[in-house]
Amino acid sequence: MTPTAAPERIQAPLIPPSSHRYAEIIHRLEAGGSMLPDTPENLMQIIGIYKAYAVPMDFYWRDLLYIAEQVFLQPLPAFKYLISQEYLDRPNSYAGDQSQLRIWRGGEKAHPELLEFMERGETRRMPKLLHHLWHDRVNMEFAEACMQAMLWHQGMGGRFNDYLESDAYRANADRAIKAYFKGNPLMLGLYRLFPEMVLEQVRQLSYTANLGLFWEVMAPVFFEMSDLYDEGKLTSVPQAMDFLVNGIFAVAGRPIYHHVFIRGECFEIIPKSEGFTWLYEAALPYVEAVFYRTSPFRGTKSYNAQAYQVPADQADFHYGILYADVFPVGSAGIPPTLLMQDMLHFLPPYLQELYKGHKRGEEDQLIQLGVTFQRSMYNVTSAVIQALRCALLYPLDDTDPEHLMANRRFFEAQMDRFLRPEARLGAIQTQEYR
Amino acid sequence: MTLSLLLVLPLLGGVLLTLLPEGRSTLVRGLAAAVALAQLAVGLLAWRQPPADLALSWLPRLGLGLELGLDGLSLPLVLLTALLTAMAVLASPIDQSRPRLYYPLLLATNLGVIGAFLAQNALLFVLAFELVLIPTTLLVAIWGGERRAGAAVRFLLYGAVSGLSLLAAVLAFGWFGQGAGEAGALAGAAPSVNFSFEALAGSRLTPSAQAWVLALLLLGFGLKLPVVPLHGWQPFAYCEAPAPVVMLLGGAVSKLGAYGLLRFGVGLLPEAWSAFSPWIAAAGAVTAVYGALNAVAATDIRRLMAYSSLGHMGLLVLALAAATPMSLQGAVAQILAHGLIVALLFACVGLIQRKTGTTVIAELSGLLNPIRGLPFTMGLMLLALMAAAGIPGLAGFPAELLVFEGSWTVFPRATLVCLVASGFTAVYAVRLFNRVGFGRLDNSRADWQNTHWGERLPALVLTVLVVLAGIWPTGLTAWSEPSTAAIALRHSDALVQLAMAPESSTLSLPA
Repeated sequence: MTPTAAPERIQAPLIPPSSHRYAEIIHRLEAGGSMLPDTPENLMQIIGIYKAYAVPMDFYWRDLLYIAEQVFLQPLPAFKYLISQEYLDRPNSYAGDQSQLRIWRGGEKAHPELLEFMERGETRRMPKLLHHLWHDRVNMEFAEACMQAMLWHQGMGGRFNDYLESDAYRANADRAIKAYFKGNPLMLGLYRLFPEMVLEQVRQLSYTANLGLFWEVMAPVFFEMSDLYDEGKLTSVPQAMDFLVNGIFAVAGRPIYHHVFIRGECFEIIPKSEGFTWLYEAALPYVEAVFYRTSPFRGTKSYNAQAYQVPADQADFHYGILYADVFPVGSAGIPPTLLMQDMLHFLPPYLQELYKGHKRGEEDQLIQLGVTFQRSMYNVTSAVIQALRCALLYPLDDTDPEHLMANRRFFEAQMDRFLRPEARLGAIQTQEYR
Repeated sequence: MTLSLLLVLPLLGGVLLTLLPEGRSTLVRGLAAAVALAQLAVGLLAWRQPPADLALSWLPRLGLGLELGLDGLSLPLVLLTALLTAMAVLASPIDQSRPRLYYPLLLATNLGVIGAFLAQNALLFVLAFELVLIPTTLLVAIWGGERRAGAAVRFLLYGAVSGLSLLAAVLAFGWFGQGAGEAGALAGAAPSVNFSFEALAGSRLTPSAQAWVLALLLLGFGLKLPVVPLHGWQPFAYCEAPAPVVMLLGGAVSKLGAYGLLRFGVGLLPEAWSAFSPWIAAAGAVTAVYGALNAVAATDIRRLMAYSSLGHMGLLVLALAAATPMSLQGAVAQILAHGLIVALLFACVGLIQRKTGTTVIAELSGLLNPIRGLPFTMGLMLLALMAAAGIPGLAGFPAELLVFEGSWTVFPRATLVCLVASGFTAVYAVRLFNRVGFGRLDNSRADWQNTHWGERLPALVLTVLVVLAGIWPTGLTAWSEPSTAAIALRHSDALVQLAMAPESSTLSLPA
């Protein structure tokens, strides 16, 4: 009996309970949990959606790198979503035998389910171009919207954004631009007239490479989580979160760079030697820009800027998936809708069964999976918050009350961001929200 | 034969349904719909081949005969009633409680309304008019909402007063018009007064007797329509009664009042009508404004639509008061258009209530949401609201245009007031739709299945007709043009008057 009594005494609260509105969630985070309650259904939902998300993501990162490295400044990039075979076969740095750090046990090339979908689409087998024109394909527009959110919000930590204004970057970009437009007096003339315009395009492409390199990591992470769940080795939401935290730390130092290949020659616009890293230059800005902020989408909901429905300060933007109203889907031009449609194609059977049994069954799968996606992204955000706490503050089992208070203040500050009425943190605490 | 078939069908159908074994609710529903549709088919047949009038002696000592006939006034109303009965049956839920009582009562209502429209004898009309009150009261009292008892009692009281005053008016009409002379001639024998419309038209009433009879008629029919200040039962009943019943109440039963005013007031008492008409027009204008303003302030969709309906009755009364050929055509067009539109509105409201469990405006929002809302129902409701607001291309427009154009020359001020009230229709329509259709869909509430085609059918049929009537307005007016022209009391050649006006002004210029 005594051996169990000892750890219990250590776990006795050293600091008084929080009085925050989300006190329960804060206590859960302090106990090493996630913002998402630990229920078997939540685990099933988030793992299933990670799998469904990872397959199109496997296309996103490949095509983003293809655009950043190969399409580059093509003035009429009509075929930028028609990715080359080389990039489909490009070995993932975190999957396959060749990988230095193997996160996923699967192969390094494009995921088989992705290739099958690219072949058939929703309709039937037809040439790539027809699939593209019929819009029966992976919605790359979503990936580009995420990239643009990162580009637009900027300044969210890290040195990446500042570097894009530096002389070194301008010089590198200048060489690449001149090489790319060699023998094209029209574009070279335009560049001379409006150098900033072309440079801004290159900056956008640098963010494209940034996001591509970020997602190259996330896809195998999600695939591996799905496989572990199928094997019964992931059994709780905190375990899933811990896997993400470990993954974040394992690849935190991955270099973020932007290389361009022009007529076989490699131009290093952002060389690896600049020392930009995955965690600070890609992951954190991505979470901030895409999960929290993004921008008001043009869709079924309209915003009146004059009535201050759109904040004047970009940092106050809160249109990300953690706040999103996933109901108004179904009309064109709303990026989350595009992602939901992408994920719909790769839902594991157990999620399809789950959705059939709730709300409108097959009719509103898009909304149900959108809500699931929201749950899963609260879990990813929890992993990021825990990772930040781990990197900047103290361990959860620290015995110094001051350290625990520092952790508490950190968690409370994070939860403050969900005090605004649009936040779905309260909603995901129950299974009723579907 | 055709005429009696129109009555025999709902009568036999209703009796048959009550005899069916328990637990066959789908069969009961299907049969009820089939009866109403068969009646509609017979009505259409009667339109293509006008049947001969039917006159059978029933209780000659009372002057009551089974005199039936169809003319341009009654035919479209018979078709409307048959159609709305079928739609009300189809709009009722498949798992309707106590179907063997519910559907026969709907058919009994139909029987009464059709009987009143077909009647060519005033006493027969009163009989049918009274008959309607029983099943409708039961429908409200048994299947209504939480406050159904109060609604049913009020409905019954107002209906009873309406019936009594109508009976008094008809008896007075007959006795004072023909009673004296003929009773004297047949001294000793029982007085025999002929209450057929033909005989009543030929009777001579003193002006004061005419005024009294018309006052009673106005009370009776004004309660039925209703008109302010006789409308106390209406918002209550429309809020509490099941939506399919309101489709029939608002679309067909209330039209008995309009038909009665047209038939008895304008048709049989033209002099008194002319004398009363400024007051009637004023009542119409007050009703239109009162209904519209209350609709703007309403917090419940049903209440809003009840007041909207009341407001449209005001326009109808204005047109009847003006009694020009054009305004009377407008009145008939308004009867038909409003019947279709109000039935469509309540078909949509019924679906909303069945799915969301409420009609309180504050509790609903975002219903237009394409995946979790009720986009189809809301789309049709938007169309119905637009039709009610008189948007061109929909049924409400030609009707209101005819009403305004026809009444303008006679009662310009009342018409102007009604025009403004009609403008308010757009206000409450937009307000309602903005709150209920747009906005954020409440997740905790949005837990219902989408409507299926079977449920949508009645609303869809009515929508088609509302659109058809809008782009082909002759469908609203052609039935009754000769009949209304024959009973018009005033000339309404607005064009002539407009053309005359400049001439007179130029004449006065040199002076």
